[in-house]
Amino acid sequence: MAEKQESESEQSGEEIRIGVYVCHCGLNIAGSVDCEEVAKFASTLPHVVLGKDNRYTCSDQGQELIKNDIKEHKLNRVVVASCSPRLHEPTFRKTCEDAGLNKYLFEMANIREQCSWIHLHDRKAATEKAKDLVKMAVAKAALLQPAEEIEVPIIRKALVIGGGVAGIQAALDLADTGYKVHLVEKEPSIGGRMAQIDKTFPTMDCSICILAPKMSDVGHHPNIELLTNSEVVDVKGYIGNFHAKVVKKPRYVTDDCTACGECAEVCPVIAPNEFDIGLAIRRAVYTPFAQAVPSTYMIDMNLCLNKENIIVCDKCIKACEAQAINFEMKTETVELEVGTIIVATGADVFDPSSQPNYGYGKYPNVITSLEFERLINAGGPSGGHLIRPSDLQIPKRVAFIQCVGSRSEKSGRLYCSNVCCMNTIKDSLLIKEHWPETEIYVFYIDIRAYGKGFEDLYQRAKKEGVMFIRGLPAEIVQDRKTHNLWLTGENTLQKELYKANVDMVILSIGLEPRKDSETIQRLLKLSRTQDGFFMEAHPKLRPVDAATGGIFFAGCAEGPKDIKDSVTQASAATARASILMAKGKVTVGAITPIFDPEKCTACGLCVKVCPYNAITLNEELKRIEIIEAACGGCGTCAAECPFGALTQNHFTDRQISAEIDAVTEHDAEKKIVAFCCNWCAYAGADFAGVSRIQYPPDVRIIRTMCSGRIAPKFIERAFARGAATVLVAGCHPGDCHYINANYHTQKRVERLRKKMEKHELDKERLQLLWASAAEGERFASKIREMHAIVEKVTPEEIERTKKAYEKALGEV
Amino acid sequence: MPVRIWRTPLNIEKAKLPKAEIHIIKNQCKGCGFCIQFCPKDVLEESEEINERGVHPPKVVDESKCVLCSFCTSICPDFAIFVVEKLCEEEC
Repeated sequence: MAEKQESESEQSGEEIRIGVYVCHCGLNIAGSVDCEEVAKFASTLPHVVLGKDNRYTCSDQGQELIKNDIKEHKLNRVVVASCSPRLHEPTFRKTCEDAGLNKYLFEMANIREQCSWIHLHDRKAATEKAKDLVKMAVAKAALLQPAEEIEVPIIRKALVIGGGVAGIQAALDLADTGYKVHLVEKEPSIGGRMAQIDKTFPTMDCSICILAPKMSDVGHHPNIELLTNSEVVDVKGYIGNFHAKVVKKPRYVTDDCTACGECAEVCPVIAPNEFDIGLAIRRAVYTPFAQAVPSTYMIDMNLCLNKENIIVCDKCIKACEAQAINFEMKTETVELEVGTIIVATGADVFDPSSQPNYGYGKYPNVITSLEFERLINAGGPSGGHLIRPSDLQIPKRVAFIQCVGSRSEKSGRLYCSNVCCMNTIKDSLLIKEHWPETEIYVFYIDIRAYGKGFEDLYQRAKKEGVMFIRGLPAEIVQDRKTHNLWLTGENTLQKELYKANVDMVILSIGLEPRKDSETIQRLLKLSRTQDGFFMEAHPKLRPVDAATGGIFFAGCAEGPKDIKDSVTQASAATARASILMAKGKVTVGAITPIFDPEKCTACGLCVKVCPYNAITLNEELKRIEIIEAACGGCGTCAAECPFGALTQNHFTDRQISAEIDAVTEHDAEKKIVAFCCNWCAYAGADFAGVSRIQYPPDVRIIRTMCSGRIAPKFIERAFARGAATVLVAGCHPGDCHYINANYHTQKRVERLRKKMEKHELDKERLQLLWASAAEGERFASKIREMHAIVEKVTPEEIERTKKAYEKALGEV
Repeated sequence: MPVRIWRTPLNIEKAKLPKAEIHIIKNQCKGCGFCIQFCPKDVLEESEEINERGVHPPKVVDESKCVLCSFCTSICPDFAIFVVEKLCEEEC
């Protein structure tokens, strides 16, 4: 238990010696911040024994410099002012460790994402702000304490969610490495979108022919447990030690099924087959497609005539020689213990009926690219004959329309779906291969043939006579008699209007986030980009890691991608997960609570707010007990304790107060003191910087792991010291990385705002913001909004606030 | 696979389902209504007429909806209903 007193070093009388390094980051920081001046300023701060500026602190030379200085100048605290700690804190912590300094004695000032990049055109303000940020970091650094991390074992088993090509590849790679894998798929069969596609670009391989052997491998691999018809409903735990609950819906057909299909022959219920997008039929007892894995049939109970344990129709039972039909099967809940999770949940396709000008859903001969795949596939409803739905005739003139549900504000999907250009080129060549006389028009915005072998395929299509016309049709009108279609629009290269008459139109539909991604997001505490796809921990350097430890992405769940990229990413995710599992253990941050039993009254408030049940009340001893291994490190308990008996390692009351004091030392009445959680709001502020969104320089951000750490006394202290405004920012409700800790934040802020009203203070000076890691603009506009409040606050109001909260000023 | 399904399947014509011929022996019926209650396709309903036993026997609403599960035959306590497959010489 962490019952040590902070300020050990002060008591032991050790002199605090801080080294400050101000990084130019080439011109990224030096372009708008006078780094030399900031370094000089840093040297004047208490406890600082040296302040240096250099071009690239993260380079080998930069790190060597720090290591040498630690030894030569006997530094016992290091502050680097450079980029976001979310990027390079691990780098510099390692530098310190290499030089024999405990890594918890390192602190960072974020003067790039949260300063130079957002104040590109105001060198003076940016330099002043950088000085403040360094001052805050130095103030905290002086109070830092060394800490030892605890090691937790990693369970050497993995959970792969989603059985498309990405999930299949990930499961096979992990299983071949020697780890046990649970592959969970929602549908009756694995295979995903790739199983629906006829050919793949640019090689024109038969899609199912290359996928089916892999599917079969999954089915037979001794290390893979395949759970189809199953959904993950709950995930608890943390890196290396996840506990997942999977609900497995019954198939009503046992493993004795030989997939002979006699049952489907006699089944009297007919329904459209989802696998063929409703272009073909299936029975109530069915297998979605011939190569399905598992090959076991299943009964769709929504369609079957048998309900509520009454066997009305027994045709399938009678037809089944293997006696594999069993209506007694029940939903099972499977509990899994795994160390790593790979999210390969894939993507949905855009529904073009929301664009009425193209008439999808109204005109029979307007089809989607996915419907085309089933029509051109030999195993599909038309046996591979491209027929148009209105009269089942082979069309002579065909038009493809690109970017339906991609790159358009109208559909609300601004991103490029990556696969549609090449898919259309491939499709046009497939038509030419079977029916060379067909006239083919492709209406596009830009053709993006960026990958290996893509340009060749594009040129081949042009040579075969496929007509590429730049400019999407404004509208499609159907000829009532012939069901032919008139396309009108503007050819933007020739600047003239066109009117084309074709027999069939294929809408090249985009990919979009799965409708159930929100559920997965909540279960696994993930972030999503503005487009709705899952967000990686770093776009360049950790492209397959989730921000949550032990979770990785593969395939379209992270963004639209083709088969090759999905497979590449799946193998990458596997490698990342294997690193953890091969090691077999991981250290978790030493950010657990520090407990002072003398102050504890055993009131039990902390027990109630802890999201991990890591605190228990010992009634006999009249004190609490903390289970460190279960602690998630949010600090909500410390914020809740009214007696100061709890604080959080590395985010102690004294450290946070020191940061507040540093911000408010000068010009407090012009500043916004912001408390941001590490995962969402702080990352969102970083993202504003990465996007170079410019906003006023008033804000000074204090980082905590969770907004639940922000005790009311911190906010009161900021006001008591004359701060114009205070912002508390965290993850959106439900997205909290510490289960539900941010609900306590909301309660605390609302209570404080009411109190401000009572004191007749302007409650708008305290703001609460929910901003995700992708919402840079949302963060920036909040700061703009608060800038207006800062300008309005009168000196008289600030004086009254100082008085109202003067009690909050005392020694922490 | 959440994709909107709206078309009539192209091969729906090819799906041959057996056609039923429902026979009701009206005077044997005692009007328990099991056949009406348990028919999964709602093919039957109570008729207006009164039989020899003084009850309303069932009548067929739509024979084409019957899928020949023959549950009515199994459940009828009075052996008053049975279904046979309509034998078609040609397409029917």
